[in-house]
Amino acid sequence: MTNDYDVLIIGGGPGGYVAAIRAAQLGLRTAVVEKQHLGGICLNWGCIPTKALLRGAEVAHTLANLEQFGFAVENPRFDIGKLVQHSRTVSAKLTSGIEYLMNKNGIEVIRGRARLIDKCMVAVTDDKTEIRLRAAHIILATGARPRALPGIEADGERIWTYFQALVPKELPKSLLVVGSGAIGMEFASLYNDLGCEVTLVELAERIMPQEDAEVAALVHKQFEKRGIRIHTSAALAAVDKGGEQLDCRLRLTNGSEQSLAVERVLLAAGIQANIEDIGLEALGVVTERGFIKTDQWCRTNVFGLYAIGDVAGAPCLAHKASHEAVICVEKLAGLEGVHPLDRDYIPGCTYSRPQVASLGLTEEQARAKGHTLKIGRFNYQANGKALAMGEAEGFVKAIFDADSGELLGAHMVGPEVTEQIQGFGIAHSLEATDESLQKVIFAHPTLSEAMHEAVLAACGQALHQ
Amino acid sequence: MSAIQGIEVPKWGLSMEEGTLSNWLIAEGDSFKAHQEICEIETSKISNVMEAPFDGVLRRIVAKPGETLPVGGLLGVVADASVPDAEIDAFIASRSQTNGAPAPAVAAAPSPAAAPPASAPKADAPAAAQASRPSESTQASVEPAGATQVPQPLLGKTDAGSVFATPHALRLANELGIDLGKVNGSGRGGRISLQDLENAIVSQGGRLATRQPVRRNAGPPRSRADDSRIPATPLARRLAVKLGVNLNDCRATGSHGRVCQADVELVHHARQENLPAPQQALVHVPDNSSFGTQPLSAMRRAIAARLQESKRNAPHYRLTVDLDLERMLSLRQEINASVPGVKVSVNDLLIKACAQALLKVPDVNVQYDEASQSIRRYADADIAVAVALPAGLITPIVRAANRKSIAEISEEMHRLATKAKAGTLKPDEFQGGTFSLSNLGMLGVRQFDAIINPPQAAILAIGAGEQRVVVHEGEIAIRNQVTVSLSCDHRVIDGALGATFLQELKRLVQAPTLMLA
Repeated sequence: MTNDYDVLIIGGGPGGYVAAIRAAQLGLRTAVVEKQHLGGICLNWGCIPTKALLRGAEVAHTLANLEQFGFAVENPRFDIGKLVQHSRTVSAKLTSGIEYLMNKNGIEVIRGRARLIDKCMVAVTDDKTEIRLRAAHIILATGARPRALPGIEADGERIWTYFQALVPKELPKSLLVVGSGAIGMEFASLYNDLGCEVTLVELAERIMPQEDAEVAALVHKQFEKRGIRIHTSAALAAVDKGGEQLDCRLRLTNGSEQSLAVERVLLAAGIQANIEDIGLEALGVVTERGFIKTDQWCRTNVFGLYAIGDVAGAPCLAHKASHEAVICVEKLAGLEGVHPLDRDYIPGCTYSRPQVASLGLTEEQARAKGHTLKIGRFNYQANGKALAMGEAEGFVKAIFDADSGELLGAHMVGPEVTEQIQGFGIAHSLEATDESLQKVIFAHPTLSEAMHEAVLAACGQALHQ
Repeated sequence: MSAIQGIEVPKWGLSMEEGTLSNWLIAEGDSFKAHQEICEIETSKISNVMEAPFDGVLRRIVAKPGETLPVGGLLGVVADASVPDAEIDAFIASRSQTNGAPAPAVAAAPSPAAAPPASAPKADAPAAAQASRPSESTQASVEPAGATQVPQPLLGKTDAGSVFATPHALRLANELGIDLGKVNGSGRGGRISLQDLENAIVSQGGRLATRQPVRRNAGPPRSRADDSRIPATPLARRLAVKLGVNLNDCRATGSHGRVCQADVELVHHARQENLPAPQQALVHVPDNSSFGTQPLSAMRRAIAARLQESKRNAPHYRLTVDLDLERMLSLRQEINASVPGVKVSVNDLLIKACAQALLKVPDVNVQYDEASQSIRRYADADIAVAVALPAGLITPIVRAANRKSIAEISEEMHRLATKAKAGTLKPDEFQGGTFSLSNLGMLGVRQFDAIINPPQAAILAIGAGEQRVVVHEGEIAIRNQVTVSLSCDHRVIDGALGATFLQELKRLVQAPTLMLA
């Protein structure tokens, strides 16, 4: 029997659609099965629409500080409906952009739910019909969804996941955010800036447990300064929906309990992979802690079957999915010079205020690995551009191996750091040393000068501090 | 020696039939010596520098860069400076008559595909044509294969000051550790040429290595050594590949002693000054007729030439048998249902069965070398499998399929088929092969005859596996069957031999557990 496609991809998110484009570019007959919207969570319910809302939060913050720049505006009005509309418009625009890219590359987009029914074969069902498709290579890119908390069900009305938090009909007076990963932090920051009373709960000892401790500490301080209440080492144990307010019971790790009443709860305590109802069991696909197990080339244990992105394990980031997509496709197409993903050096960005961006090992991780460290820090308080912008809270921390000069990690918190982390990414990818970074000329006045100064500081040669 | 001589496309290998002139290294009016490099010629396989066969003055360039000419086609005209232009014209005119097909006519249809850049990533489209390249050594059969062996008496070190030799001869002598003082020169003034050196090696009982395709050039040095270990900035490395500069030829003035961008550009510019100015592109003649004209792609041309040659030269005969697939299908079912990491197709099992049958009937596992009137026999069965592509077909090879497990064959075939479609097959993945399989069963073809892929001597054409009403053990039964046809080259495989192979194949297909034995 002939194959209908050389490559068939299940899921049209930033993993799936990128895999499709790359496969089509390489001359392979390619199709994507998508049950809902091309672009996946990233474009429709994640990265992009949150950034649109956060832009609104930034405006709110600017309005609150107009006086510093000589302006005075009486009673500015805010219509959250319009901000949400802006966010949806941006999503819709980008989603149609993906449609265009699929068309342009001659990729067939099949609407429906796909399920593996045999090696190299899937059944796709829509409302009425089922079709069977054969492909030499099948890539699973089904993504992930918010993780459910035991005993607390997101009802979509008052107990939210990010799906509802992105399209609020009105601004709640108070919000309890459970989880301080990127999603929790961004929504806490957003709703606080828009004028909502926000409480943040984190099970770990500190917020942003994935980030460097110094960075997390600074964000913690800034959030508290803004009036966000933070409970660490605490879990949401129960929610009583009986009253007008949600009565939330927090259980702290030391055993004590605390309760508070809020209008809305946002569950943002991690995500879980979409591995159900796609036929994994019948084919004997091996999973590990809820994710599909893959090798360095994104291959599963089943013939001709691959998995990329969130469904294949952490970190659950769009750019990790896209990168794996390219690796997976180029490898199966037999291209030379394909390098496996280095999971330690996937940049992570959180678009809260202040922003956080990081790459590589935290100081703690680097020490645990036995490196002798050379660490440089530079505070944005000493950066001219940051002061001029009136956003000088934050710092850059660069961690080098003292012997080899290798950039082990970079941690940034402060203004527009998410746009700057790529500088360290390029340096690491090209195996630049502290010495080579020292020699780069950074333009003045820019925020990125702080990166240069942090490198210089690591070498004991900082000029401006 | 006549006053006017032609420079012709040389024949560099058995299978070389035409060459594309890529560059002239001398200009009209230049005088040159025998063995001097005068132009670069590309074939479907290699790109090489042509050395002048004699001394002379290049009076006229006939072939422009990009033109493809048959072997023997006229590239240029050599004559003494005193010979009038009219006589040169007359010479060219007479050549184009005696050639039958006038050289310019052949050259008139150059397509972009005719001379793909040597570094084209889509590993040579003329794939199908090369599918049966026997080996490097037969390409240049005049020179025995293996490494060069220098006879004892010639060993030593050349005193460069005391010998009169061409730079090429000097370089080779240095490489091989030969004292040129012990070699006689036949050139003008007793100058030692490369040919003299090679003659000396052979006449004293040594042997020459197969000549590697070399692209040499006058002017700055051009290393061929592996430069992957030369420290260089990423930018310099990429630029070097693009400009065809070997990093060994570059200074290293970058940071940490690395070759940097400027170093690569320096070498490139030095070379540019030594090259003749690029020639103008040929004028494209528009076609006003009612049909669209599409020049053959390199792959199409290769298929056309190769299969035409096969059909014309090899006396084909075909043998057809029906194979009962029941046991093979249940074996396949059993494997596929129990091992997640393996998916075996009927085709994979037939590859294995053919490989085992070829071992049993080794007289079919051969290649026919027409030129040397000999049969090459192979110990392993390298099975070439035709894979259809939108623009033609290619035959990736499962090497030594007799030594591979069914799971390995399946994995390899899956990988090769995808590489074929992505155009990433490497030459050693599609060149060679001792036997071919062509399967049109997936398109519902019941039976067909395939054309042998020379220098192989047999190909098996596989039809569709289907349920048929047959007599089985004296009863009418519905059985899964497939019809296969073996095309053989009668010059080396006789009818009874081909039939014996099919008998063995049938035995294995119908009792597939025997393949494990």
